[in-house]
Amino acid sequence: MEVFDHLATGFMAAGTLQNLFFCLIGTVLGTLIGVLPGIGPIPALAILLPITFGLDPLSSLIMLAGIYYGAQYGGSTTSILVNMPGEASSVVTCIEGHQMARKGRAGAALAIAALGSFFAGCVGTVFIAAFGPPLASIAQQFNSPDYFALMLLGLVMAIVLAHGSVLKAVAMVLIGLLLGLVGTDTNTGLTRYTFGLSGLWEGIDFLPLVLGLFGIVEIIRNLENPPPPRETISTRMRDLWPNKQEIKESIPAALRGTMLGSILGILPGGGAVLASFASYTLEKKITKTPRKFGHGAVEGVAGPESANNAAAQTSFIPLLTLGIPSNPIMAIMMGAMIIQGIQPGAAVMTTRPDLFWGMVASMWIGNLMLVVINLPMIGIWVKLLSVPYRLLYPAILLFCAIGVYSTSTEPFMMVLMIVFTVFGYVLFKLGCEPAPMVLGFILGPLMEENLRRSLVISRGDPMIFINRPISATLLVATVLMLCLIILPQFRRTREEAFQEE
Amino acid sequence: MVIKSPQDFGAGILFILFGAIGLWVGSDLNFGTARNMGPGYFPIIICGLIMLIGLIVAGKSLAIEGPAIERIQFRPILFILMAIAAFGLFIEDIGAIIASILLIMFAAYARKDVNLIETVVFAVGTAAFVVIIFVYALGQPMPVWWGR
Repeated sequence: MEVFDHLATGFMAAGTLQNLFFCLIGTVLGTLIGVLPGIGPIPALAILLPITFGLDPLSSLIMLAGIYYGAQYGGSTTSILVNMPGEASSVVTCIEGHQMARKGRAGAALAIAALGSFFAGCVGTVFIAAFGPPLASIAQQFNSPDYFALMLLGLVMAIVLAHGSVLKAVAMVLIGLLLGLVGTDTNTGLTRYTFGLSGLWEGIDFLPLVLGLFGIVEIIRNLENPPPPRETISTRMRDLWPNKQEIKESIPAALRGTMLGSILGILPGGGAVLASFASYTLEKKITKTPRKFGHGAVEGVAGPESANNAAAQTSFIPLLTLGIPSNPIMAIMMGAMIIQGIQPGAAVMTTRPDLFWGMVASMWIGNLMLVVINLPMIGIWVKLLSVPYRLLYPAILLFCAIGVYSTSTEPFMMVLMIVFTVFGYVLFKLGCEPAPMVLGFILGPLMEENLRRSLVISRGDPMIFINRPISATLLVATVLMLCLIILPQFRRTREEAFQEE
Repeated sequence: MVIKSPQDFGAGILFILFGAIGLWVGSDLNFGTARNMGPGYFPIIICGLIMLIGLIVAGKSLAIEGPAIERIQFRPILFILMAIAAFGLFIEDIGAIIASILLIMFAAYARKDVNLIETVVFAVGTAAFVVIIFVYALGQPMPVWWGR
């Protein structure tokens, strides 16, 4: 079996003492940040991004992946114990998980969430190993028009899944695309939108942008509207074990969640958030005891938690095989890879097999570490919640500043960070969600390049996008999604889904 | 003219401005043709779309009720920005320790009712911790004190 050979290569690469160490650090730091109220995976990745830059590419990617899972995991812990979702994908965990906690089943809810996630993580890893190579060979048949159509679909999906107004999300994506174009035009060598500043010749730096928009604006938001204190439910080690009934109910839910999540993760625009909502809806639909939902149904924890972890894994597939990030979190991962000098895409698998398979293997190792290390340490994570915010936020701010300075000692980067903080603050006041902007920012130059190439091939005839089967299919899907947004019934469901947050 | 949704109205105006600036700054870029796209082709299309959306959002805000813009609180954002600016200004010349302490002090005053002693102790401790981690453990290039 070729898959096992590949995985063996991966475990060899990821299993070195150094990489295991960084995987551990990543998962612990990720959990640490993820547990903190109001910090979801995007700000967590942004804040911790700089500390991975000094490492070699594989270690740095392993650590980043660890941070991502850790943050996800930390988010579910706070959802269950404090009823405070750290991130959008654990919103649904809040609904059932916190109800379980109030009935004295906090430990069981945490254990089910962790074990469900671990199981889903294992399946997700196998999924990537099994479907990565065939998808990469499909990717080799992709031509410029197909890439353009795929990116268009991804952006439309990001708009569908963004919070709040659709129109504003469209504008945010477009603004992101425009910001991504700042700098030297690759085709002509002319500089665009640099306002005569040499610091912008190579484009807007990724780090000040994400740290300003997500890390620092988050702090200001919390200072303006301090989150209300919530009751924390304490838990003891010996309460961690779910009882027989709970196990019996959660296993099929975890299986369904894993399957659903694995599939939704691969789709453009898919990812943890979509998967957990979809799984919760599914569990609610097929349950024989609908009355339990809303009052601590075990399936409502096991399903969504497995689904979001499976999707978190498989959403790496489009990034690693096609070189296209399917959601804002993957856009940040892609930004990190580019800073490391790796252009994500099918080529990585053949030119740096150790990198690709090492990362896949490390995902599994990271998931294992999360269960083994974090479950017994839940008490410590919960204590973190009692660290007063007045001490926390200056430290986070310092982290952001040092992070930007240490990757580029240009004073201009600080100015950029200030500019994006102000911009992010204005967007927050005007009710615009900046996450889709990051996706646009990363995709901007890629989309322009592929549009240009497509039109050169077709001598300016836009019909090329319809004549090629792959791009035509993707465009049809894009149009269908757009129709969905316009349909009033779907609009209502979408609004309701976000209402629950 | 009555603005029924101030938030959307503001967002619409922001988008229109953004698109307009993009068109104006990009006006000297060659548009080219579809067959041979110039450097201005893609950006100008995008700017046009941004303006279009801005117009729709602003237009809708006159017709449909929506949330008001929350009052801007100047204290948090100003102190946070000053903290970053102070760090950026001083790190090069007087080093990471002092710049970090300054950042934390400024940041702390983004809230009211600051406990000065606690803040100073915390600032010094955090600065030391951060320098040990970043400069000594991770080996990031950063001056610790002045003159180096």
